[in-house]
Amino acid sequence: MSVGNRLSRQLSRVRENTDAVRDRQAIEGILFALPYLLVFSIFLLYPLLKGLYMSLFDWNAIYPSESEFVLLDNYVRMMNDPLFWVAVKNTVYFVVLTVPTLVILGLLLALGVNRQIKGRKFLRAVFFSPYILTVSVVALIWIEMYAPQYGVFNYYIELALGSAPNWLNSHLFAMPALALTTIWWTLGFNFVILLSARQGVPERLYEAARLDGASSWNAFKDITLPQMKPALLFVTVVQFIASFQIFGQPFIMTGGGPGNTTETVVMYLYKAAFNQHEFGYAAAVGYFLFVVLVGVSLVNYRLAGGPDE
Amino acid sequence: MSDETGVGREGRRFLDVESLRTAGLYVGLYGVAFLFLLPYLWMLSLSVKPRDEMFSKVPHWIPSEVTFDWYAFVLSESMLARWMLNTFAIAGATTVLVLVIDSLIAFSLTRLDWPGQRIVLSVIIASFMVPAYVNIVPLYTLVADLGLVSSFAGVILPLTAGPLGVFLLVQFFRDFPDEIEEAARLDGFSTFQIYSRLMLPLMKSPLTALALFTFVTSWNQFLWPLIVLQSEASYTLPIGLVTLSSSQVFQPGLMMAATMLASLPLFVVFLLLQDYLISAVRIQGTTG
Repeated sequence: MSVGNRLSRQLSRVRENTDAVRDRQAIEGILFALPYLLVFSIFLLYPLLKGLYMSLFDWNAIYPSESEFVLLDNYVRMMNDPLFWVAVKNTVYFVVLTVPTLVILGLLLALGVNRQIKGRKFLRAVFFSPYILTVSVVALIWIEMYAPQYGVFNYYIELALGSAPNWLNSHLFAMPALALTTIWWTLGFNFVILLSARQGVPERLYEAARLDGASSWNAFKDITLPQMKPALLFVTVVQFIASFQIFGQPFIMTGGGPGNTTETVVMYLYKAAFNQHEFGYAAAVGYFLFVVLVGVSLVNYRLAGGPDE
Repeated sequence: MSDETGVGREGRRFLDVESLRTAGLYVGLYGVAFLFLLPYLWMLSLSVKPRDEMFSKVPHWIPSEVTFDWYAFVLSESMLARWMLNTFAIAGATTVLVLVIDSLIAFSLTRLDWPGQRIVLSVIIASFMVPAYVNIVPLYTLVADLGLVSSFAGVILPLTAGPLGVFLLVQFFRDFPDEIEEAARLDGFSTFQIYSRLMLPLMKSPLTALALFTFVTSWNQFLWPLIVLQSEASYTLPIGLVTLSSSQVFQPGLMMAATMLASLPLFVVFLLLQDYLISAVRIQGTTG
């Protein structure tokens, strides 16, 4: 009886002890997490919810309390605005011009630099370096490259073809010109990730294929591509998301022109919010972006085989 | 006999194809590298070119004489130096804040047990899908309500909310051996000491990579500072450069001198710490 008593008392003391340890760890854990969680909730989660809320109002930028609830009017207006669809079309065109090129060229350069060649470090530095520049520097340099009177391109193109386009003022060439600038700017990111992914492919797979007499094309198709699939999907999605949100290049280089040919979704959003002060409407455009880009991420997640792979 | 010559011929043909391929590889890679360098050369060339050669129809890659007038002019006539200091302050403060709060929460999520931590981690990871520009309108109203328009804090705080650093550090902190942590606890280390004296020094390389990446991306921010910073004296370099290009009498030499000066600090960082920067990008690819 007394032995049993003592035992149970001891047991409960041990339990109290572990309870106390657990409580202390829980308190410490929450304290350590708190600073980030505060910033995260205030500056990321809260705006995300507030944006949805704002998009349902004819938002009064000066007196928010006088905003008028309009339910889905902003979304309806967006769907009925031809300029919005022009912006969507231009953005998709820009995505089509940049994403495949950035992924394929990045892959080719990565496979090339992965070979036993001289100056690999130099090449890596050259291909990566533009990625560290800010969009203003990139845009301003390329304005000088494209300048019709004294720029670099046109002299040589005229020499070869007789005449050259007025790049940034041309309906036909303005968007491709922005795409070329963007490829120069961000190729390095894909290149570095794909190079690292290629270096992660076990060399014995290639040796086995060589012994089986596989051609280098077959080795590429059956080993390189499948082994690099996660990295290729990753850069494709990251590039898609980045290209879909293109803003700085047209904002600085063309202002959306000529004749709205380089007006993009984020430009459209920016103008609605900060030129026309239509915050509710701009928030609705923001949510359109959100749905499109989250959709793309989720499709990629599915393609990549979910969390288990 | 005939077999052998057959093999020999095959071997030589193979060799020729191989050396052709190698030559093609060199031409391709160095050709692209040359094209990649052209914009830099053109920027440099324009920035030191005298005015009368600037608008020549035939591009003078190498100016007949080198002048530093454009540099002197842009430094004396614009607020470039001020903008550089502002950018440095914003990028520096963002980096320090990100390192501190991200490492604290990554430590807490991987080394301490508390209720709800799994949900917290999945919410943070899910927030990766929130595209950077979606939030700008509600975020602007929030920053305006807090009275932070045109202040550095208004730029910095939203930049520190991103999930990338937490995500990266969680990967590394998770792999830290339990035995070392338990031994330290038996030696009487407090939780904070385990974090500050044990964990942080051993996590130097992921922390450095994260620091560099954060510094470069916040240095380069464009849309958000453009919205928040509304007085010329508070501009960062990316914003200042663009207003310079639209406000001054258009002078390519002047603009290229400004872009040279504006990109110089990051080029120095890049040349010195290339490997860390590249590894910061690489880590994103392997964990993404």
